[in-house]
Amino acid sequence: MTTMRRRKARTWSLLGEVKRKPSAYEAVTAKFHYHFRRDPAPWELDPEMAFNRWYLEHREGSPFNVDDWEGYRDPAKLTYKDYVTLQHERELYVDGLVDRFEAVDHAASYSEGWTDTFKALIVPLRFPVHVLQMASLYVGQMAPSSFITNAAHFQAADEMRRLQRIAYWTQVVANAKDGAIARTETARDPWERAEAWQPLRETLETMLVAYDWGEAFVALNLGVKPAFDAMVNVALRDLARRNEDEFMALLCEEFDRDAARSRAWTTALVRYALERDPTLADVVNGWLDTWAPKAIAAVEAMGVLFEQAPEPVAGEELGEMAREGQREIAGAAGLA
Amino acid sequence: MPALRRSEWYDLARDLNWNLSYVTEDEAFPEVMSNNYGITPNEKWWAWDEPYKVSYREYVHNQYGKDASVYSVNSVIARSRMFEELDPGWKSAIVAHYGAIAVPEYLAGLGESRMGRFGRAAAWRNMALFGTLDETRHGQIQTYFPYTLLDKEPRMDWAHKALHTNEWGAIAARHLFDDMFTANDAVSTAIQLTFTFETGFTNLQFLGMAADAMEVGDLDFGALISSIQTDESRHAQQGEPTVRILVENGYADVAQRLVDHMFWRSWHVFALLTGLSMDYYTPLEHRSHSFKEFMQEWIVKQFLDQFRDFGLEPSWYWESHFLPELDWYHHALHLGVWFWRPTVWWNPDAGVSPAEREWLEEKYPGWNDTFGVYWDTIGDNIRRGEETKTLPETFPMVCNMCQIPVVTPAGFRAGKLESPEPHIHIHEGRQYVFCSEPCKWIFQLNPSRFAGHTSVVDRFLGGEIQPPTIPGALEWMGLSPEEMGQDATNYAWAYEGLEAPGAAAS
Repeated sequence: MTTMRRRKARTWSLLGEVKRKPSAYEAVTAKFHYHFRRDPAPWELDPEMAFNRWYLEHREGSPFNVDDWEGYRDPAKLTYKDYVTLQHERELYVDGLVDRFEAVDHAASYSEGWTDTFKALIVPLRFPVHVLQMASLYVGQMAPSSFITNAAHFQAADEMRRLQRIAYWTQVVANAKDGAIARTETARDPWERAEAWQPLRETLETMLVAYDWGEAFVALNLGVKPAFDAMVNVALRDLARRNEDEFMALLCEEFDRDAARSRAWTTALVRYALERDPTLADVVNGWLDTWAPKAIAAVEAMGVLFEQAPEPVAGEELGEMAREGQREIAGAAGLA
Repeated sequence: MPALRRSEWYDLARDLNWNLSYVTEDEAFPEVMSNNYGITPNEKWWAWDEPYKVSYREYVHNQYGKDASVYSVNSVIARSRMFEELDPGWKSAIVAHYGAIAVPEYLAGLGESRMGRFGRAAAWRNMALFGTLDETRHGQIQTYFPYTLLDKEPRMDWAHKALHTNEWGAIAARHLFDDMFTANDAVSTAIQLTFTFETGFTNLQFLGMAADAMEVGDLDFGALISSIQTDESRHAQQGEPTVRILVENGYADVAQRLVDHMFWRSWHVFALLTGLSMDYYTPLEHRSHSFKEFMQEWIVKQFLDQFRDFGLEPSWYWESHFLPELDWYHHALHLGVWFWRPTVWWNPDAGVSPAEREWLEEKYPGWNDTFGVYWDTIGDNIRRGEETKTLPETFPMVCNMCQIPVVTPAGFRAGKLESPEPHIHIHEGRQYVFCSEPCKWIFQLNPSRFAGHTSVVDRFLGGEIQPPTIPGALEWMGLSPEEMGQDATNYAWAYEGLEAPGAAAS
């Protein structure tokens, strides 16, 4: 037997009477977080158990909330299938890039000075990128709608992509120049101890414990990541190009395609929230008052490494790029 | 194709553990999100080593191909009449599957994401990120497929809405999955979701059901779930290194307890979901194994091997409770689900025609004496036109742990339980009812996790369900009259080997 029916369903019943048939993206994303604002508690266990309290405090209880998050859409409208299709194509491009530069033994052409910069500046980047990956996952797991969760989780995957491409090339440079470049300590020691890296590590470690989901989102996607991405995807691109490392420059450009997607879903989310509740601008700006200057200070402290390159980027230039990164996203989000 | 093999560079992307100094470990990995069970300092977790490695580029290249292939099968089949021609019992099996599994799989992504943030080693966090993506895939693909079938089977709506409702099976699913991953810390999730659930039970549901699907001719479902299992078997491997860390640091007892807790809970929900599908809903001629045979081959053997490999013991209830239940528990649930069929979102297939009963007796000697007698009476009532006698007027007791109706009288009748009575437990002045000793034991392990929860029956008795009648409860469960389960074959089984229904009157 099949079920009797009164009318032919256009879509899921939970999406209501729709005039337009929802897209495939909407059909596999809308209303998956049945647990958000569920009564008496998100999870079907003791309402007072620790996890229920965590979500009630940090998600339902966040000051960054509107009456309905389900109307939000990621401008890229990515389903999982779309995401892996897109990144499959982009990774084919980067595979080709690697082939091209490996074929000419590009790493062997690094000058001594640029190899030193690579070692001091690029090799340890794996650590902060890993923290950005962790933080994106936190935003995803706490978000009140799947439309947000999925965008944040794809962003985390993009960070892993960036990290692994740096890791791969680090090994290539180590093979060509100095095996020590690929040792864990070469990356971890500066990350844990070198002066230039400490403000960045402090900013990222403290950001990890910003557990309010709204603050976690704002700190990461409007404060820290725009500044960090400006440093890596823009300033480092320029630095690499000045030092004849076209491979690294092209890689940074590629990273910024992912970052642009992050900026797009971030600005759309803030705009969505502000349209529903303009007073949230104060909430977001309040968090940014804390996180934006910390991120700038962190990037500026890295200036010394950019300045030590054979063909440097000035510290002030770097700081300005980071500020511009933050200004651009705040403006696009309607916060300026 | 990059010149370096993955093994030549991959450690650079894994060895990303560092000592926090601007915040404490407890702040960055709070116990609620990541219980270290006393294994400190955090460096002890850095030895975490996944057995199966994959890079991001390999992941997107592979997954792109897998998705392209599965969606193209779906697209071809959507234009065919394959679904319409499927056996009605099998349709019930997949309607039940999608409702109970699709959205929970997506939510398993939250558990994976939690391990990706709060896992105590970078290599683990990376694997969990792939797990997060995998579960996003599984949630989306298992809602997309039923979405394309909405016009052919309106009950496919439950693939999306089941967890939004208070249908009792949905409550049982939420209670289990929240305990397992959505409301579980990273370390426990690795052991309970990946080591206990995904290495064993999802194999059963996804590969066992895939084998049956291919037999039945449901290429769509078969292609879908076998593709899903290739992801599961990859990210399930997060459990093994986590168990290893616990064992090597002298906490084998913690690992054992976590496994024993979740193995039992998984068993009960899978008996309900997979047990019924395999032994009653799948057409007889297409059953490759009985549920018990699948359990013995895929679960019992695998877990005994795993226990041995990690120096753990078979669960304390293994011989005394678990193995005996293989003979009777899902048969009792089937009888209950069929009788209370208006309370489920699929059409239960009685699956007790003469030939099917012969098969059941062969696979489960004694089935006729224990369960067949009830079906004899039901069949008589149907043939006499007294359908109302085969429908419920009251509710059964429900277990305060697994949230599944208590069926102990059947276990007693089958000679497997010493008493038909449920297990009663008083905690802080409140009485709890459990279907089994292990369910009570799980509660006692951690009462604060469960004590304030109320079962369907607690809510019914507490006045939350109004009016306090069967129709009132069905409405509260979110079941419209069109959606309430009916016998899948319109009682054809009751007439097999006899005159056709209505023939006598014509």
